[in-house]
Amino acid sequence: MKIRDLAIAIVGLAVIAASVCALRAQEPPSSERSVWDGVYTEEQAKRGEELYEKQCSPCHGDKLAGRESAPPLTGGAFLSNWNGLTLGDLFERVRKTMPQNAPGKLSRQQNADILAYMLSFNKFPAGKTELYRQAEMLKEIRFEATKPEAKK
Amino acid sequence: MVRKKVCEWKRLIAWSAVAVALMPASVLAQSQTKVTEWPSYAADLAGTRYRPLDQINASNFNDLEIAWRIKTDNFGDRPEYKLEGTPLMVNGVLYATAGSRRAVIALDPATGELLWIHGEHEGKRGGAAPRQLSGRGLAYWSEGKEERILYVTPGFRLICLDAKNGIRVPTFGNNGEVDLKLDDDQEILPDLITGEIGIQSAPVVAKDTVIIGAAFREGMTPRSMRNNKGYVRGFDVRTGKRLWIFHTIPKKGEFGYDTWEKGSAEYTGNTGMWTQLTVDEQLGLVYLPVESPTSDFYGGHRPGNNLFGETLVCVDLKTGERKWHFQLVHHPLWDMDISSAPILADITVDGKPVKAVAQPTKQGFLYVFDRVTGKPIWPIPEKPVEVGNVPGEWYSHTQPIPSKPPAYSRNGVSVDDLIDFTPALHERAKEIASHYHLGPVYAPPTVSKLEGPLGTLTLGTASGGTNWPGGSYDPETHIVYVYACNACVEPIGLVPAPKDISDLNYIAGTAGKEVQILKGPGENAGADAPKPPKKGPGSQYVPMNVDGLPLIKPPYGTITAINLDKGEFVWQIAHGETEDVVRNSPALKGMNIPRTGQETYNIGTLVTKTLVIAGEGHVTTTSDHPRGAMLRAYDKATGKEVGAVYMPAPQTGSPMTYMLNGRQYIVIAVSGGPYSGEYIAYTLSSND
Repeated sequence: MKIRDLAIAIVGLAVIAASVCALRAQEPPSSERSVWDGVYTEEQAKRGEELYEKQCSPCHGDKLAGRESAPPLTGGAFLSNWNGLTLGDLFERVRKTMPQNAPGKLSRQQNADILAYMLSFNKFPAGKTELYRQAEMLKEIRFEATKPEAKK
Repeated sequence: MVRKKVCEWKRLIAWSAVAVALMPASVLAQSQTKVTEWPSYAADLAGTRYRPLDQINASNFNDLEIAWRIKTDNFGDRPEYKLEGTPLMVNGVLYATAGSRRAVIALDPATGELLWIHGEHEGKRGGAAPRQLSGRGLAYWSEGKEERILYVTPGFRLICLDAKNGIRVPTFGNNGEVDLKLDDDQEILPDLITGEIGIQSAPVVAKDTVIIGAAFREGMTPRSMRNNKGYVRGFDVRTGKRLWIFHTIPKKGEFGYDTWEKGSAEYTGNTGMWTQLTVDEQLGLVYLPVESPTSDFYGGHRPGNNLFGETLVCVDLKTGERKWHFQLVHHPLWDMDISSAPILADITVDGKPVKAVAQPTKQGFLYVFDRVTGKPIWPIPEKPVEVGNVPGEWYSHTQPIPSKPPAYSRNGVSVDDLIDFTPALHERAKEIASHYHLGPVYAPPTVSKLEGPLGTLTLGTASGGTNWPGGSYDPETHIVYVYACNACVEPIGLVPAPKDISDLNYIAGTAGKEVQILKGPGENAGADAPKPPKKGPGSQYVPMNVDGLPLIKPPYGTITAINLDKGEFVWQIAHGETEDVVRNSPALKGMNIPRTGQETYNIGTLVTKTLVIAGEGHVTTTSDHPRGAMLRAYDKATGKEVGAVYMPAPQTGSPMTYMLNGRQYIVIAVSGGPYSGEYIAYTLSSND
C-alpha cells in the first residue's frame, strides 16, 4: 500500500473530525447533558401526569412512593437506582416492562410523557424542548440525582 | 357457577415439568449434615438464619468470588425486577423460586447448572392474583428416599413436586395440587379466578404438616370494608388433606369474637398471615404472626380490639388449636402487620433457662415471650396512648409497650428526628413537618385537611422498622441481629372515601389530591378501564425530602445486636454506604458525615460462626467501588465491618449459606432499577 491511499484516508479522517468539532463547537457536547438541563417541557409533564394517574398510580401510588408491590419512583431508592445511568436506560425499563399487566402497550410518546412527569415530580427543571422519544437519544442524557455544582 | 370456574382452572396447563435427571454423581453422593445445609426458608424452623460455618470469615471475606450466577428473566414471560427469594440447599441440590412465573428451579449448588424447572400457567387466575412474581421461596420435606418440594403459586394453589425431577406428586391432593381457594371455611368472593387471596411467602413443613397463611392486596385504600379472610391452615404433606384451620378472625362462638363489635367479625376481612411462621417441633407448637384487618388506617367499621389482628398466636402443630396469644397492637390503625418470622430462642434469664420466642416488628420493638406460656419475659405494660378524632373511628386508649429491650428503631416522629446536618436544612424540614401531626409511637392517623394537618408523620408503620426479611439469631450467644429502616417515613392521612370508589367512611389519601385506589400490579390499567375521578381543589404534595436529602436524620438504616438473656443492646451500627445524594450534596460540602446507612426496609441478615452478613438495598458509586451495592460482613461480636464484596445490584432477597464439597457458599438474590433478578453464589477461590 499505497502510501497515497493512506494519505487520502488520513486526510479524509481529518476532514470528518474537523466537521464534527465544528458542529460540537456550537453547543455543549451532548454527553454533558443531564436531567438538570431542562430536558422536558411543563406541557409534556402535564400530559404525562394524566397518563401516570391512569397507567402507573394504581401500583406506584399518587405520590410515586411505591408500595410492597411496586418500587418508589421518587426519593432515595429511586434516585440511587438510576443515579449514574441515563434517561435512555430508564426509558427502556419503563417502555419494555410497564405496565406490568401489558408490557410495551404504551407508545414511545406516551412513555416519554410519563418520564417527563416523573422528572417534574422529582423536581428536575423543565425546559423548552420535549423529551426525546428514542432511547438512543435519551442515552445521551445522564440521570444525576444531585445537581452538578459547576452548572451554568 | 363455581363448579364451572373450577373446571376452567383445572385445564390450566402445567408448564415444562421436565425431568432432566442430570444431577452429577458427586452431588448425589454428598452426605451432608444438617449444619452444612439450608433446608428451610430461614435455615431452620426456629427462624434463626444461622449456620455455624466459618470457612468464609473476617480474614477472607474480601476475597470472595462469584462461583456462579443465574438470571431469572426466562423463568416467566417477562423479566422480574423484584427477586425476593431465599433458596434452599439440601441433600446436594439447591432449590429456589424464580422469575415472573414463580417457577421452581433446581440447581447444582457447586456450579449453578440447571437440573430441572417447573412452572404453572395459571392464566387469568394468576394475572388477577394479589401477590404476584417469584415469591420468597419454597419448602422441602423428605421421608426415606422420598423428597418433596412444596410451594404456592401466585394463583393460590399449593403444588407438591418430586424433588428429584420437578414432576408433580400425583398422590398429593388433586394430581399434585391443592386449590387453596377451596375448603377455607369461607367462600372466596367473587369467584375462584379473581377472588382476592394469595401468598408470596414460603410454606413451612413441620413434621408432616404443611402450614399456609394468606395475603391480600395492600390495605390502605380498599374498595370495601368487606373482604375475604386470611385463615391459616395445616395440610398433610403426604396427601394434601386439610388437617386444621385457625380462624384469624374468630367465628361466632369462638374466643375473641366479642372483640369485633357490631358484628364486624362477619364482614371484615384480611387479617392474614402473609409472612414466615416458625415452629417448635419438640413442643409441637406453631407461632403465627398475624397482619392487620381491613383497612390498614381506618377501623371505624370494626370497633373493638379486633383479635387476632396484629397478634402473635401460638397454636398446636397437630390441631391448630390456640394455646396462647398476645396482641401487639389493639385495634390496629398503623399497618403494623407482624411482618416477619418469630424467632425461637433458648435463653437464660436471671439464671433460669427459658424457652423464648422473640418477635421483631415494624414498630421497632422486640417482643419477647416464654414460648410455652406466652408470658412476657420482661413486663409489657399497657400504657396510655393518644386518642384521635377521626369521625367514626374506635380507639384503644392503651397499647402494650415492652419495658425491655428498648426500641431498636425509631417509631415516632418529633422535631428532634428531622434532618439537622445544618440549621438551614433543619428549619426547612421543620416547615415541611409543620403540615403534619407529629407524635410518638401510636400517634393516631388524622383526617387530611388542606389547612393542616395533612396527616400524621409516622415512622415504624407501613414499611417499618423491620419488615418481611426479619431478624437472625445466634443460638450460641443468645443474640438477635435485626436490620431496621430508621427513616422510612410514612405520612398517614385519611380522606372521605367517594361512594363510587369505596364503601368505607375514610381511606388513605391527602387533602386536595385525587383519591386513588391502590391495586394489584397493572390492575384496571386497560384501555377501557374507568377514568379516575377529577382532582379536588388546591391539590398539593409535600415532599418527604429537603433538596433530595431525607427528611429524617441519619442513621437511615441500622443493624442492632440484642442480647436476649439481658434484653439489652450489644451494638448498633448504620448499615449501608452513605447515599449518593448525601455524599454528593453541595449543601453538605466539606462536612465530615459518618456513614449514614440507607433508607430501605427490606434487608435480611445472615449469621455464621463469626459474622453477620447483609447486603445493601441501594446502589451507590464511591471511590472504593463502581456503581453497585456491597454485600457486607460484620464481626458479630462487635459490629465492626470486616469485609465487603461487590454486587451489581441491591440485595432484594435475604442471603443464605451452605457447605458443599468442602467449600462454603453464600447465595443472594439481587435486582432492582434496571437490573433484572439474579441469584449470585459467592465462594472463595480454590487458589487461595
